[in-house]
Amino acid sequence: MIILQAVVSGLLLGGVYALVSVGLTLIFGVLRIANFAHGEFLMAGMFLAWVLHEQAGIDPYLGCFIVGPVLFAAGLIIERLLIRPVIKASHMTQIFVTVGLAVFLQNGALMIWGADYHSVVLSYADTVWFVGPVVLSLPRVVAFAVAMALCLALLAFLRWTYWGKAVRATAEDREIARVMGIETEQIYAFTFATGAALAGIAGALLLPIYAVSPSVGVQFVLVAFIVAVLGGLGSALGAIIAGLAIGVVEVLSGFLIAPGLQQAVYFVVFLLVLIIRPAGLFGRRGAEELVVT
Amino acid sequence: MSRSLRGFAVSAGAFVALLGVGAAFAFGVASPFWLDLVFWVVFWAALAQAWNIVGGYVGQLSLGHTAFFGIGAYTSTLADLHWDLTPWLGSLLGAALAAAVGLVVAVVCLRLRGPFFALATLALAELLLITAIQWRDLTEGAEGLTLPFSPGLGNLMFETKTGFCLYALGLFALVSAVAIAIEHTRIGLLLHAIRNDEDGARSVGVRVLRWKVAAAAVSAGLTALCGTLYAQYLQVIEPSTVFNWEISVQLALLAIIGGRGTWTGAIVGSLFLTPLAIGLRAWLGSSHAGLHLVVYGPVLILSVLFIPEGIMPWVATRWHTARARRQAVTGAHA
Repeated sequence: MIILQAVVSGLLLGGVYALVSVGLTLIFGVLRIANFAHGEFLMAGMFLAWVLHEQAGIDPYLGCFIVGPVLFAAGLIIERLLIRPVIKASHMTQIFVTVGLAVFLQNGALMIWGADYHSVVLSYADTVWFVGPVVLSLPRVVAFAVAMALCLALLAFLRWTYWGKAVRATAEDREIARVMGIETEQIYAFTFATGAALAGIAGALLLPIYAVSPSVGVQFVLVAFIVAVLGGLGSALGAIIAGLAIGVVEVLSGFLIAPGLQQAVYFVVFLLVLIIRPAGLFGRRGAEELVVT
Repeated sequence: MSRSLRGFAVSAGAFVALLGVGAAFAFGVASPFWLDLVFWVVFWAALAQAWNIVGGYVGQLSLGHTAFFGIGAYTSTLADLHWDLTPWLGSLLGAALAAAVGLVVAVVCLRLRGPFFALATLALAELLLITAIQWRDLTEGAEGLTLPFSPGLGNLMFETKTGFCLYALGLFALVSAVAIAIEHTRIGLLLHAIRNDEDGARSVGVRVLRWKVAAAAVSAGLTALCGTLYAQYLQVIEPSTVFNWEISVQLALLAIIGGRGTWTGAIVGSLFLTPLAIGLRAWLGSSHAGLHLVVYGPVLILSVLFIPEGIMPWVATRWHTARARRQAVTGAHA
């Protein structure tokens, strides 16, 4: 029975991983940039939700409606100032622009709020439901439900809307997409900003569960990258399924092996994926090859 | 003298002169504060140089060199504490271990193009941090390890900071000698070819994967030697200080800003940025923790945006253009 509980807890956690990773993988697929500042977007979302709660008494879940648009706008600005100038530069330049941004945001937060962990006190945080043998805590269920709803909405958007198709076309072949009349620059900006907004919302959803500190982003960015690679870099559906899988793997290995060694398990999973199938579960073969034009 | 031989002579001369200046500082400066600064400048230059071998010459970006650094620090310290092994041998043991780990990661990741090596090294560093904290029987966990202070050349521990400065200079000389050797031999050309056009290099018969992996292993080993130096100097190591993401970023930062793929770049980077970091930290104190990195982030972004090749190659290009123009002018008059 404890296994069932672990699987359920893992799925609930994995939903949030999926939400963080789906933005990361889209940014990679469309812009061909590994965004090392993605965890810092999540951290920024958490801090924003925390400040809104502490200063204005706004519930973190309501705060999502502020955090999302703010991070979207920030994403647009960052894309315009930092990402667009390096869209055709070497990997080294691209990666170091995002690493520089990550260092700046992380230590900016450290300067403003200090290294301490902050958490919010919510009346419903300890509410639990007993469903058969399984215990479900309310904040985790809400985080999972909202994350999954957003992920599915994103998939539907990519599949059926004009903009969604334009995003996929740009990811497929940016030159041809341009020839077909797609404003690829707008697609880059839109994709980057959407990724930032999703990471920010994930941060707000996590606030009732985890304490926030400037270093929280580093922990999540690593998981998010492993999820994105496992799902196949560039594949949104892959990231969602891999997110759930990694969540289950993390909680199960915590139960079965030892708590605190989850990262070791991630690393092994990551290396195995790279050895056995670098394209990931849903990636196209060869999609891992980044050819800079 | 042939052109390449002259280039080598210039490099070697500049290098020896630089070591002389370093040694003069180590002996001539009395104030512990300034000796400390000299130590850290040389220390970071050596580390950036070690990163440069894989990150600069081959262009394979590592974001987790702190993993190899920590392996070096922990191996020599544990060998000293448990087996009473001199750090001379302990540091070699650490270097071998780090090189082996670097080799495995490189073999898996460098077959692939894309950000995989950067991700895998980053993940490796996190993994080792967790391991060092969790494996209490071996590492004493988060409290870290303390080396007893027993000065002596055999112990690689010194009464004065001058001794440590010379130790750092010696290590720096070793790492730089490797870099200079790479730059002025056929290996440098091979690595340069791989960095600029991997497919082209492979098509003319360069064994690309082998060279990439070798560079990663050598770089990891040399980084581990610097880890031992750190442990000997401070005599206290903790998981959070030797397996530290800031170290990984700092290394790459110094080499990139100075000019990756040139042996002078790492030195210039450290000369500019180490005093800046120490100065900012001393000036702002603990009340503004992280401020020096808040400054570093934008410095990194601006430098890769505006001089992506780094300071030294940028200067060299300007210098050669100016000289070519001067020669063209005098040639026209003659």
